[in-house]
Amino acid sequence: MTEAKPVLSVRDLTVDLVLGDGPAAARRPLIEAISFDLKPREILGIIGASGSGKTVLSRALVNWIEPPLAIAGGSVTYKDRNILTLPRGEMRALRREIAYVGANPQGALDPTLPVGRQIVEKLRAVAPEIDRKEAEERAIALLDAVRIPSARSRFHEYPSQFSGGMMQRALIVDALVSNPAFLVADNVTQPLDVTVAAQVLRLMRELTVRFDTAVVFVSSSLPTVAEVADTVLVLEGGRVVERQATKSLVSAPTHAYTRELIGQIPQLWTDTSAPAATAEDAEPVFSIRDATRSYKVRKRGTFAAMSTVRAVRNVTFDVFPGENFGVVGESGCGKSTLMRLLSRLELPDSGVVLADGKDVAKLSGKELMQFRKNFQLVLQDPFSSLPPRTAIGAILEEPLRTHGERNGKAIRERVLTVMHEVGLPASLYDELPLGLSAGQRQRVNVARAMVLAPKVLIMDETLSSLDQTEQFKLLKIFEDLQALHGLTYVFISHDLAMVRRVCNRVAVMYLGEVVEIAGNERLFFDPGHPYSRALLSAVPTLEARRYKPEDCLLEGEPPSPIDLPPGCSFASRCPNVFDRCRVESPALTVRGRSDFAACHLVDPHGETARELVEEPA
Amino acid sequence: MFILSFLARRLAQGALIVFLVSLLIFTLLRVVPGDPVRLMAGGMAPEALIEQIATEMGLRDPILVQFGRYMGGVIQGDLGQSFVRPASGASTGGASFSDSTRGERAEVLTLIGDTLPMTLQLAALSIVFALIISFVIGVPGGLAPGRWPDRVAFYLSSIFISLPNFWLGIVLALLFSVKLGWLPAIGYHGFAYTILPALVLAVELSPVLIRTLTSSLATIMTESFVAVGAVRGLGRARIVFAHALRNASVPLLNILGIQISGLLGGVLVVEFIFDYPGLGLLTITAVLQRDFPLIQGIAIVTSAIFVFINIAVDLAATLIDPRLEY
Repeated sequence: MTEAKPVLSVRDLTVDLVLGDGPAAARRPLIEAISFDLKPREILGIIGASGSGKTVLSRALVNWIEPPLAIAGGSVTYKDRNILTLPRGEMRALRREIAYVGANPQGALDPTLPVGRQIVEKLRAVAPEIDRKEAEERAIALLDAVRIPSARSRFHEYPSQFSGGMMQRALIVDALVSNPAFLVADNVTQPLDVTVAAQVLRLMRELTVRFDTAVVFVSSSLPTVAEVADTVLVLEGGRVVERQATKSLVSAPTHAYTRELIGQIPQLWTDTSAPAATAEDAEPVFSIRDATRSYKVRKRGTFAAMSTVRAVRNVTFDVFPGENFGVVGESGCGKSTLMRLLSRLELPDSGVVLADGKDVAKLSGKELMQFRKNFQLVLQDPFSSLPPRTAIGAILEEPLRTHGERNGKAIRERVLTVMHEVGLPASLYDELPLGLSAGQRQRVNVARAMVLAPKVLIMDETLSSLDQTEQFKLLKIFEDLQALHGLTYVFISHDLAMVRRVCNRVAVMYLGEVVEIAGNERLFFDPGHPYSRALLSAVPTLEARRYKPEDCLLEGEPPSPIDLPPGCSFASRCPNVFDRCRVESPALTVRGRSDFAACHLVDPHGETARELVEEPA
Repeated sequence: MFILSFLARRLAQGALIVFLVSLLIFTLLRVVPGDPVRLMAGGMAPEALIEQIATEMGLRDPILVQFGRYMGGVIQGDLGQSFVRPASGASTGGASFSDSTRGERAEVLTLIGDTLPMTLQLAALSIVFALIISFVIGVPGGLAPGRWPDRVAFYLSSIFISLPNFWLGIVLALLFSVKLGWLPAIGYHGFAYTILPALVLAVELSPVLIRTLTSSLATIMTESFVAVGAVRGLGRARIVFAHALRNASVPLLNILGIQISGLLGGVLVVEFIFDYPGLGLLTITAVLQRDFPLIQGIAIVTSAIFVFINIAVDLAATLIDPRLEY
């Protein structure tokens, strides 16, 4: 690499958290003595776990340190000036050249004004010499460049009308519209679905080349950083512990922390100890037959017209006893509606849900109570799912009382047994859930379900809010509980790595439909549906990819579940699309012994779609 | 298209609300004790005559029949005639009963039509005052939560809400009109007569507005788009006035819609104190005289005004924030 003058030089940067006022204030450094250079056109990755100070660092780079944080020392030099000491006015002028994109795309713009207008507003605020007309043209051209469909009309839409991925693209436009010298991207892909995140990453790479912008790419996911960055800084406890070119960092990490970080990254294909498919001759515990659920929403701007959101469409599958059944899909695919149908929070509009062979819609009275006892639900959010002012023991006792247990001593014993099983110390019995960590809260949630000794646990994104280490621990507990009580789990998740590790069989959902049901091995090594392949190609991983996003994933986002196009719902993003897909919706077709996929390319006689596709037409 | 369907839906709802309010008022007025005919005819009128008048006026029919007859008139724009007031202006009643004045009794619509514009003028001016007061006090408070401007806003609104309007009215009249002679106070002979009563009403309105504005602005200022706005290069003034206040004004508008409904209570007292010839004064005399048709008319007109104001407020709110759906 040539020794070009760096765009940005950071020297000995230290930022403190200041608690209290005056000279007596307690100061605790959040990042300490950080130094690095950013070369022109370089993409510098910064990686660290939560709490490692990466957001503080990325904010310091754009001079956005507000109380209670304070710069304690060091410099951030841009164009021979330390931007940390610039007066407010001069700093504002520099905003044209220093851009920032954050992790919360929905909150970054004023919700009451059209997106385009705000981009123009920003451009004219930092570059007043550009007139409105020109600014608008520039914004529209850029919106087009980041592949926002029909940019000219999207320009006039409001932030709430943009999806998360679309909004993140709009914010990248907002950052790049003034032709900045460098861009700080703080966790930009974190709130996005994997397939959308993969597209945004691809976009970031393209744009740095096209606009000659250097990028500081901050993320908590090493595979994501490795995807885009040339060089990676590893941050631990506010200090840089390692700096290497991406390739060598991954292959030969020198610092113990980096090795630990790499070790925690789940592997999809290298690790072969996946749970095998279970025997399917038993009676299914759950059987969902052709279930459909739609919601009516009032159409805006009409008097009484309603449009129908088809959240779950013609879903059919069985769950067998002792099995770990996974349901995967991206946001808006109908996973949560499916969970509501399975747990009888809602009834399907058509079709049936059978639990132990009985139609759940017809249950009432005693039978319904028995169903509730056997089929328990564990929710996603560890914080809002627990009443904050009820002691943990009382939370866990309540289901037992609801189900008719009256003996106080027996209740207490049962609760303590379950608390022990999920790894909660008995001393927490009289505590409020306020001080608990997310992991402990999720254990309380699991215990609340387990206390009734159910047969099936439905886990709706139960592990999503936990970090890797906690996930490992809880999965271990789930395994033990299963061995002990012969439980059946239904995991509803967007996390393919987790599903790969624990599920015997997996259903893949897209836009309310199940597009594929396959055993674990088959899904990950020989997926039958192009969407499954797209999903696999987009998972952030350090392994050699079996599926390349370039081949498997077209630009674009899922169509809205209102006004679904005819034909296959994946047609708009499918690389293998052909005429039939746009008119006829494929049915689930058997592939081999017990796997299904809904694609016209699936050959029911055992050959796989993939082989067919790879032959040039 | 959106606005048309919005208006159609809301006006239909509004008509229903006005209808229900009329039914309620009509029924309640007829079940409370006190016979209006006795008041009209005078204490000395013989029982037979009262019965005769009451029957002639249809006051002995079932309530629903009376209501139907009344609403039939309302739809044609006829709110009936006052029981008590002659067309000439002065109110009658009491002992001087004379059947010959019946034909000259005042139209309710005319009575309301004469006084309503006065009250609307008063209300509009007091809202303008109230908004000025709440922005001047509330915006600095919202921008500095927990610091002195916030505390000033809190104390001032606490003081304002504790001042009884009748007391404040008298004090202001004494100060500005009697002592300083700057503003007229009693009666109405020009626009200047509106200022003092409007000020009293504004002081009554503003505490809630100040609190709402302060807290909603303070909340908006913690939204990430405000912080990110500065990083994107927007100036402070632009962020506060073009974005934060725009967002904070939605809850303010909603509160204003409710507050205007509460304004009527204030108008009653304030118009009485300042002898301001508006709807409030008319209401008080109508109630004291048990002038059923007039009370009903006022109730229908004011409920219609509230419905309109709230439609206007919601429409304004949706125009500011397109995410809202009413």
